[in-house]
Amino acid sequence: MTVTTQPGGPDGSTEPANSSPRPPTSDERLVHRSLPVRLLRRPELGAVVGAVALFIFFALVADSFLRPSSLSTVLYFSSTLGIMAVPVALLMIGGEFDLSTGVMVTSSALASSMFSYQMTANTWVGVGVSLLVTLAIGFFNGFMLTRTKLPSFIITLGTFLMLTGLNLGLTKLISGTVTTKSISDMEGFDSAKAVFASTLTIGSVNLQITIVWWLALVAVATWILLRTNVGNWIFAVGGGVEAARAVGVPVARTKIGLYLGVAFAAWVSGQHLLFNYDTVQSGEGVGNELIYIAAAVIGGCLLTGGYGSAVGAAVGALIFGMANKGIIYAQWDPDWFKFFLGAMLLLATLLNAWIRKRAEATR
Amino acid sequence: MAATIIAVGALAGCSSTGGKRAEEAREQAASGKANVTTPRWKFAMVTHSGDGDTYWDIVQSGAKQAAAKDNIEFLYSHDKEAGKQAQLVQTAIDKKVDGLIVTLAKPDAMKRVVKKAVKAGIPVITINSGQDVSQDFGALAHIGQDEGLAGEAVGRELNERGKKKAICLIHEQGNVGHEQRCDGIEKTFDGKVKNLYVDGTNMPGVQSSVEAKLQSDKKVDAVVTLGAPFAATAAQAKKNAGSKAEIDTFDLNDKVAAGLKDGTIGFAVDQQPYMQGYEAVDLLWLYRYNADMLGGGKPVLTGPQILTKKDAGKLEKLTKRGTR
Amino acid sequence: MNATEDMNATQDPQPHDDAPLVELAGVSKFYGNIRALEDISLRVHPGEITCVLGDNGAGKSTLIKIISGLHQHDGGTFSIQGEETRLASPREALDRGIATVYQDLAVVPLMPVWRNFFLGSEPTVGRGPLRRLDVQRMRRTTHSELLRMGIDLRDVDQPIGTLSGGERQSVAIARAVHFGAKVLVLDEPTAALGVKQSGVVLKYVAAARDAGLGVVLITHNPHHAYLVGDRFVLLKRGAMAGAYEKDELELEELVRQMAGGSELEELSHELRR
Repeated sequence: MTVTTQPGGPDGSTEPANSSPRPPTSDERLVHRSLPVRLLRRPELGAVVGAVALFIFFALVADSFLRPSSLSTVLYFSSTLGIMAVPVALLMIGGEFDLSTGVMVTSSALASSMFSYQMTANTWVGVGVSLLVTLAIGFFNGFMLTRTKLPSFIITLGTFLMLTGLNLGLTKLISGTVTTKSISDMEGFDSAKAVFASTLTIGSVNLQITIVWWLALVAVATWILLRTNVGNWIFAVGGGVEAARAVGVPVARTKIGLYLGVAFAAWVSGQHLLFNYDTVQSGEGVGNELIYIAAAVIGGCLLTGGYGSAVGAAVGALIFGMANKGIIYAQWDPDWFKFFLGAMLLLATLLNAWIRKRAEATR
Repeated sequence: MAATIIAVGALAGCSSTGGKRAEEAREQAASGKANVTTPRWKFAMVTHSGDGDTYWDIVQSGAKQAAAKDNIEFLYSHDKEAGKQAQLVQTAIDKKVDGLIVTLAKPDAMKRVVKKAVKAGIPVITINSGQDVSQDFGALAHIGQDEGLAGEAVGRELNERGKKKAICLIHEQGNVGHEQRCDGIEKTFDGKVKNLYVDGTNMPGVQSSVEAKLQSDKKVDAVVTLGAPFAATAAQAKKNAGSKAEIDTFDLNDKVAAGLKDGTIGFAVDQQPYMQGYEAVDLLWLYRYNADMLGGGKPVLTGPQILTKKDAGKLEKLTKRGTR
Repeated sequence: MNATEDMNATQDPQPHDDAPLVELAGVSKFYGNIRALEDISLRVHPGEITCVLGDNGAGKSTLIKIISGLHQHDGGTFSIQGEETRLASPREALDRGIATVYQDLAVVPLMPVWRNFFLGSEPTVGRGPLRRLDVQRMRRTTHSELLRMGIDLRDVDQPIGTLSGGERQSVAIARAVHFGAKVLVLDEPTAALGVKQSGVVLKYVAAARDAGLGVVLITHNPHHAYLVGDRFVLLKRGAMAGAYEKDELELEELVRQMAGGSELEELSHELRR
């Protein structure tokens, strides 16, 4: 119910003893917000319970699910969704949508690949150009939204269609085919691959570096959301834009900033796509935008804005990843795959909603 | 934005390896000049291709090559929805083209308009899909690969390689051609085949699904992908999963060619799209010029052609220039 | 450095100490050809409550929008502490000490009380990337400031939407007082409230006045206005229908004026059987 309590860090768990300006009676009562109560109020609680339930379920029905290598595969897929789901969640807390995220990832990968190839430049130059291009797309979304005051649904639907066309059109115009040429023999490829698409071996387990990016983004997003004034503004523009404007919150800048955040994550994802496969299919990415939004919603974001968390979105991505791969580990009939996937998600979300209701009732 | 790109480009650190410069240095693009004295006829090709499909790119470049040699004005249009594809054919009829090349992915929707073209005296050749109905509709010939036959060829090749359990990786659920390929494999393959559905627009998703499948079923010793771009992804998944399975694929691209060469891909089965485009235009020209028809109107099969490591050397150059 | 100190720094007393905090003289506003306000004058002094009364469509909200910087006036003069001004934005109005509390838009319902309290002026500690909200201070200050206004909250972490309408208005008022507002503009603070809740809010309005603020109270309820008001400005179809000091006016007269005066008498004549 409550948007923001402490993430459990030492700074917020107890009030200092020397807080003089308060009368002692109220002090008593303030301290008595116990840990379970604070946990129950977190927006991601339902998602966490749903994730644990799903994990136990697949651990029981699929014998290969619990192997470290299998978990690493699940984490890899979840991380590729989670990198995008986290900033998308922030955007949704800020009260807006972005339907262009799926193809924006592809645009970012294409920009990087084609620039490096066509200019015969060091791949890092392409990576840098791609960052500028992707941020420009994000800025365009945010700027159009704040200028025209049209619903973000329409604006980003337009961007989505335009990018889909540009991805194909420009790639064909420049490369001659719909796939980019391989850049794996170019300078800087190996170091860029190490940053965006390498595998870390810990003990006997291979972990993809996207997992690191994912966790880092969750940490940064949580910090911004709960511990900075920008985070306060994000909740405010999503939860009551007129009230926020009336007290002087820079609404337009906050929203544009959120779209830039989404673009940054799209850049990270795009570079992963490029350096993992060293060529890019220009038609890729369509449909992923809805998965990112779904992950954010499963993680406790309200579709109407003003409520949610970055951790929740990450857990939402994990739920989606577990359901998606767990069905394969369980060796269920593949013809029914989508049905199982949909049913799993619905169940996880229902559980999530139920938990949240219970949590509210105990307040 | 363009200005930024150019500015950065000017300052860019250059790569001394790979890239466009290397491509220009090695490539002499295939091109030709008209060598015939026939008038400039107008041929139209209407396909069911979606946007941005590598395969149809190659078909097109084959057709254009033939058009250049045969002094043909070549018109290309496509729409993956059958209804709209039919409208495009109607447009071609209205333009009074001298020849029509059309795919019949959904024959029922195309029947009326193709017959109309035949009635209007336009010679029609069908390519790629629609082998069964081509003659009924009044087409002169069909050029393509029987998807079922191609699958059967894969099944036999897998037998020869001593495989016991294969996965057929379907990246577009509900695509009839994909199902036919997998069914074909099942028909001739002595081992077991299981289908695995993935979302083709999400590469990390494809990779992790193949990984999951290989991890959960260690007996799998072959993965057959139905599109060239997915072969390299499957190979990566195999590596991550620590599996010994062989990666085989339908269709060809430069990465598949490279994979054949370095052994990460076992074999590829190709239906030679370049030839589908080239032959269609050339046969129409022959028909107009000399009333010839190859095979007397029987289907002309462009595949399946099984390609392995020994073909890799010569293929690499061809796939890079986008004609294989 | 923190936001609170910044705010206070910008609001140091200006030279014209004896001038009214806010003075409107002959102010007009047109939307195209439509006259929204014409020739309106009012003055706001520290420690006084100026009530603006009027029926729906009388021009009350246009007046608020001009004072709070959302719109600009077309004619007449608008002075803050004797200095003629034209406000460009709500932010500028805030910086010059004018805080507006809107009826429905005062707070963000899903956010905790303490986050609402400091919204837009959050105090921070640390530098560079480590610059962060001073959460403990925010919580503590919220609690003590509300207590000072007489609101005793059990938990400043509860979403403000769980408070009653009167409490929410009161928090918004307490916030304006805390951030050093000199003029408090209240838009129909009691309109949606029951009798008891209205009483609570009026108590805080009086508390703000006692703290030395100049208050503009917009309302269509003459009983509420007469309880706390020092001056009364009556609006009717965008024009002034009267301006009174408290000692010039009886409650009955105010009620009669607000109820439509002679119009009501006509109506009662018509309705008589």
